[in-house]
Amino acid sequence: MSYRVAMDIGGTFTDVVCYDEKTGTVVAAKASTTPHDLAEGVFAALARVVEDPADIAYFVHGTTQGLNALLERKGARVLLLAGAGAGDVYHIARGNRDRMFDLRYRKPEPLVPREDVMEIGGRLDWRGHELVPLDERSVRRAARRARDEGFDAVAVCLLFAHADPAHELRAGEILREELGDEVMIVLSHQVSREWREYERTSSAVLEAYTGPVVRRYLAEVERRFAERGLTVPVHVMQSSGGLVNAAYARRRPLRTLLSGPVGGTMGGVAAARLLGRRNVICVDMGGTSFDVSLVVDGRPDVSAEARIEGHPVLMPIVNLHTIGAGGGSLAYAEAGALRVGPESAGAVPGPACYGRGGTRPTVTDANVVLGRVDPAWFAGGLMDLDVDAAGVAVAALADEVGLDPLSLAEGVCAVANAKMAQAIRTLTVEHGVEPRDFALVAFGGAGAMHAAFIARELGVSEVVIPRFPGAFSAWGMLEADVRRDLTHPYFRQQDALDGADMAGRFAALAAEALDALAEQGVPADRRRVEHAVDMRYEGQDYTLTIPLRAAGEPAGPGFLPEISARFAEAHTGRYGHATPEAAVEFVMLRSTGLGSFPRAAAGVPAAHGEAAPAVRDVIFDGAAHATPVLRRAALDGELTGPAIVVEETATTVIPPGCLAVVDDNGFLIVKVDQ
Amino acid sequence: MIDPVRTEIIRCALVQAAEDMNTTLIRSSYTPVIYEGKDCAVALLDRDHNVLGQSSGLPIFLGNLEVCSRETELRHGPDVWREGDIWLLNDSYIGGTHLNDVTVYGPIFAGGELAGFAASRAHWIDVGSKDPGGSMDSTSIFQEGLRLGPVKAYEGGRPLRDLHEVIAANVRFPHATLGDLRAQVSCVMMGQRRLTEIISRWGLETVLAARDEIFAQTERMERAAIAALPDGVYQAGGHLDNDGIDLGTPLPVNVTITVSGESMRVDLTDCADQALGPVNCGAAQAVAAVRVGYKLLVSGDVPLNGGSFRPLTVETRPGSMLAARSPAACQYYYSHLGLLIDLVVKALAPVMPDRVAAASYGDSMIVQFCGTDPRTGKPYVSQEATVGGWGAWDGGDGETCLINNVNGSLRDMPIEVLETLFPVRVTRYETRHGSGGAGRWRGGDGVVREYEFCADVSLSLWFERSVTPAWGLAGGEAGAPPRVILNPGGAGERHVLKVNALPVRAGDVLRCETGGGGGYGPPAHHPVSEAAGPIPSARHRAPGG
Repeated sequence: MSYRVAMDIGGTFTDVVCYDEKTGTVVAAKASTTPHDLAEGVFAALARVVEDPADIAYFVHGTTQGLNALLERKGARVLLLAGAGAGDVYHIARGNRDRMFDLRYRKPEPLVPREDVMEIGGRLDWRGHELVPLDERSVRRAARRARDEGFDAVAVCLLFAHADPAHELRAGEILREELGDEVMIVLSHQVSREWREYERTSSAVLEAYTGPVVRRYLAEVERRFAERGLTVPVHVMQSSGGLVNAAYARRRPLRTLLSGPVGGTMGGVAAARLLGRRNVICVDMGGTSFDVSLVVDGRPDVSAEARIEGHPVLMPIVNLHTIGAGGGSLAYAEAGALRVGPESAGAVPGPACYGRGGTRPTVTDANVVLGRVDPAWFAGGLMDLDVDAAGVAVAALADEVGLDPLSLAEGVCAVANAKMAQAIRTLTVEHGVEPRDFALVAFGGAGAMHAAFIARELGVSEVVIPRFPGAFSAWGMLEADVRRDLTHPYFRQQDALDGADMAGRFAALAAEALDALAEQGVPADRRRVEHAVDMRYEGQDYTLTIPLRAAGEPAGPGFLPEISARFAEAHTGRYGHATPEAAVEFVMLRSTGLGSFPRAAAGVPAAHGEAAPAVRDVIFDGAAHATPVLRRAALDGELTGPAIVVEETATTVIPPGCLAVVDDNGFLIVKVDQ
Repeated sequence: MIDPVRTEIIRCALVQAAEDMNTTLIRSSYTPVIYEGKDCAVALLDRDHNVLGQSSGLPIFLGNLEVCSRETELRHGPDVWREGDIWLLNDSYIGGTHLNDVTVYGPIFAGGELAGFAASRAHWIDVGSKDPGGSMDSTSIFQEGLRLGPVKAYEGGRPLRDLHEVIAANVRFPHATLGDLRAQVSCVMMGQRRLTEIISRWGLETVLAARDEIFAQTERMERAAIAALPDGVYQAGGHLDNDGIDLGTPLPVNVTITVSGESMRVDLTDCADQALGPVNCGAAQAVAAVRVGYKLLVSGDVPLNGGSFRPLTVETRPGSMLAARSPAACQYYYSHLGLLIDLVVKALAPVMPDRVAAASYGDSMIVQFCGTDPRTGKPYVSQEATVGGWGAWDGGDGETCLINNVNGSLRDMPIEVLETLFPVRVTRYETRHGSGGAGRWRGGDGVVREYEFCADVSLSLWFERSVTPAWGLAGGEAGAPPRVILNPGGAGERHVLKVNALPVRAGDVLRCETGGGGGYGPPAHHPVSEAAGPIPSARHRAPGG
């Protein structure tokens, strides 16, 4: 019993990272994802890194099962129950448009057709007090329909259930009585205790839509472990960046929706800890997309809500900003201008250099023309590179905009880098922080190729390429904490604040959080609970989450002026101004239970040296530089750019003027000259 | 001659700078009309007031923020700009909109030289009009609140106390209003910082060369798009219901578009004289509305900057409703602008069938009520715009329950938020079935939103497009007009569309029904049923089925 295994199941490949507690070594491997039966791929990938599954002490994974069901519109058939007079709320979808100059605008395609929405009687007021009792007969009618027509799941969202869930709970009881355990029942307040009926309905619908699929998958994984006589606790990554066990994930499957990509951000959190840095920009650049996320003050940047495929979800979710600028972004001319992205060549035909019939140049083709991609190492050696096709595609565009091909190729990369850098800067604006205070952690297939250039644009002086950049998300999962988020709506203007009452609520939440961690198998000495309160100035909408020192803090004397001052400080940090004399209001109490497992210790194999690295011509700033192509495993001591560092899953470009060194954790650190 | 790589990098940086300004404004504003309604816009301008980058919450703020710095310079001369100064303006006849729209702007210096301007416009919840939040029956600008500018709000980076005190003493919600002013100032400062960074990286000369090239690229793209249209004169006309005072007199709006080669001229002179009621706007806003129609049809994908709209000229008639002079009332300056946008689309429909859609339900559909909340003893104003049906096109049904063109990306007010903030209940919020116009492709349906008031309130309504409901195209039928009923089925049942400060009692019920969109193509195979009850959602039905 000595292996700790993490797995990131992507669309095409499954990445797996295994830490051997006995030897302190880490290995990574890749296996094909098996979309028809993900559990099959899980065990195939395990076999790559562990000889005997009986040696697995701990297993965590990120699964895209729920997200795939959403993307492919293959989720469950859901019956939605809404309050009387509010049956169209889900389809009105707040009536907004997110593209302004479009006469033919379409709202996001609803996951439940209108004819599958039923209204049920009953009404609460804004405090949660009953105005009209729940019409139980209408709930039973709905249950009968769900049974007769074979719905997989029933979602219930009643007005003001966030204030008092009594009606939803009773409706849930009736549905359970009528439908038994086969049909999934989702009550909106259990998905989120936040106000706004459309967003809560959408969250409940999404949980009902993806939940049955995720549940089946988790049951299958556990069944196969059991078949082998193993009782490995299976953990799942949540969108919040925290782990939960499979039992909880089955109860709240929505929380695992963005399970995979979030691993990279948690890898960033772990990297920040190992590097002794507070702030890190995480850049995950793959073939078609570019995801950016932030670690601020050692914590992942987590929002209380997000939009997925146009559908709002109210749940803690790591902010991942996807920008249409990956290796596959197309470059083209328009009215004499050069443009790069957001349109992508996708996987088919893909960049011209894939040799699959693509003729329009992409960012990857530009890198090929500049000599920054080593054909022998491209895509882990899994794909033959068509260098000539890249050259033809780049030359054609160069001709169109009146540049020589090398200048154009460098220009395409420069525009893509500038766009990525600008997108990162906008993210930091929202946090009131400056990018130059950050380190940039780059991973994914193409991240390390562009990282130094993006860093220069941002004034960032340090780029970090982790070990196994292609499997960094899996590594991040290995390093993550168990996390349970609890919230309690607590709308109070400051003159109505009762500190003792608030402290009492927090004490209850703390007890609940500790119980939740115990249920997750976290040993007592490794459980902790953090408390925070969402606040704003009276009349504002957006809130700031202000951490508390302890659950009992609100009961103390001087709490109001103290918390108001902290709020004003946070407000200044975020918005550049504050109004200390203005009244504040409290909106939501948040308690987060965190449980840590023993971390993988850094074990770095000794460099084995390389006698004579290959040297090739690479273009930097318009000139060819004789550039050594080094194997990462062979790196020893400091390295001066230009250099190309290759490994299984990634290529790192170190431009002239930059220095690189491998640190004690095995990170490749690139010092970027400004 | 600047190379296309640097040009594109600088262009992206300018666009992103405007986005950063917008992010700063929205995230730091105090009032829902800005952070929720996005009733705001920002622009980064060059030294000659041309747009370098713009981000707009509302389409009708498209490309007209520059009038503020331009007018300031006209009045006070080119030497008026000082580093650290920030100006403010809300004059309807300059900015074109109502007094609630306050533009805050300041010069940007690079190396001691004037390099450009940053501007942010935002809707202030109250500017001291005779009724809270703005009147629906004002008959002169002097009833509509504090009229300012161009005046300095900051000097040398420090707020000018006198002006702030004037504002605080003249508006109903000084705390929120001054908070929004500060948000706008932060936004302007962000623009100043970004442009300074761009210039210090590339040098002013390079940035100016890139600017010229960017503008030229945009102009080329727009001219090519117009050149693709057949030369000719295209017309459309409609009526605004009334001016809110004289409810029996519709007001005509006519659009004549002349396409000639690669330029386009839009004549708006044939419209009603400036009205007594608050339906007038400054010429700047009529121009902006035409630009929205132009952008919807001609230049949708073309980046917006100082090269935009160069092939477009708009002619207005001073003293008309679309180019009003003092002291015309301007509070509801936008009702005819929504109509105007739809008319531009209608006029060009015969030559652009692949881009147009039938008319939408109109604009505004405002429900506003105010009073003192018995739960807190505090005064409040609630103002909502209501969603409705959009027009169908060749190949698609119109969308149902969607916010109008003029209100941009506005989201409706959640029932749970509305009832928590104000003493009211929303008893129904549902699709108004059958309200979309019949046609081979159906117009989208409007909405039914029903309120029950829990306290005595003062109610104001602004529902439009009953005289010219959403028309169909190519033989499609018009959508249903709006309908608003106070106490439906009760003793005091009353049909209304526009009212101002009507006293309403606790327990009274208000049912608002917005119009549907127009249909497209003859409805022969697509009968419309007026019967209530759900019909299959439009987009799942087969055409002609």
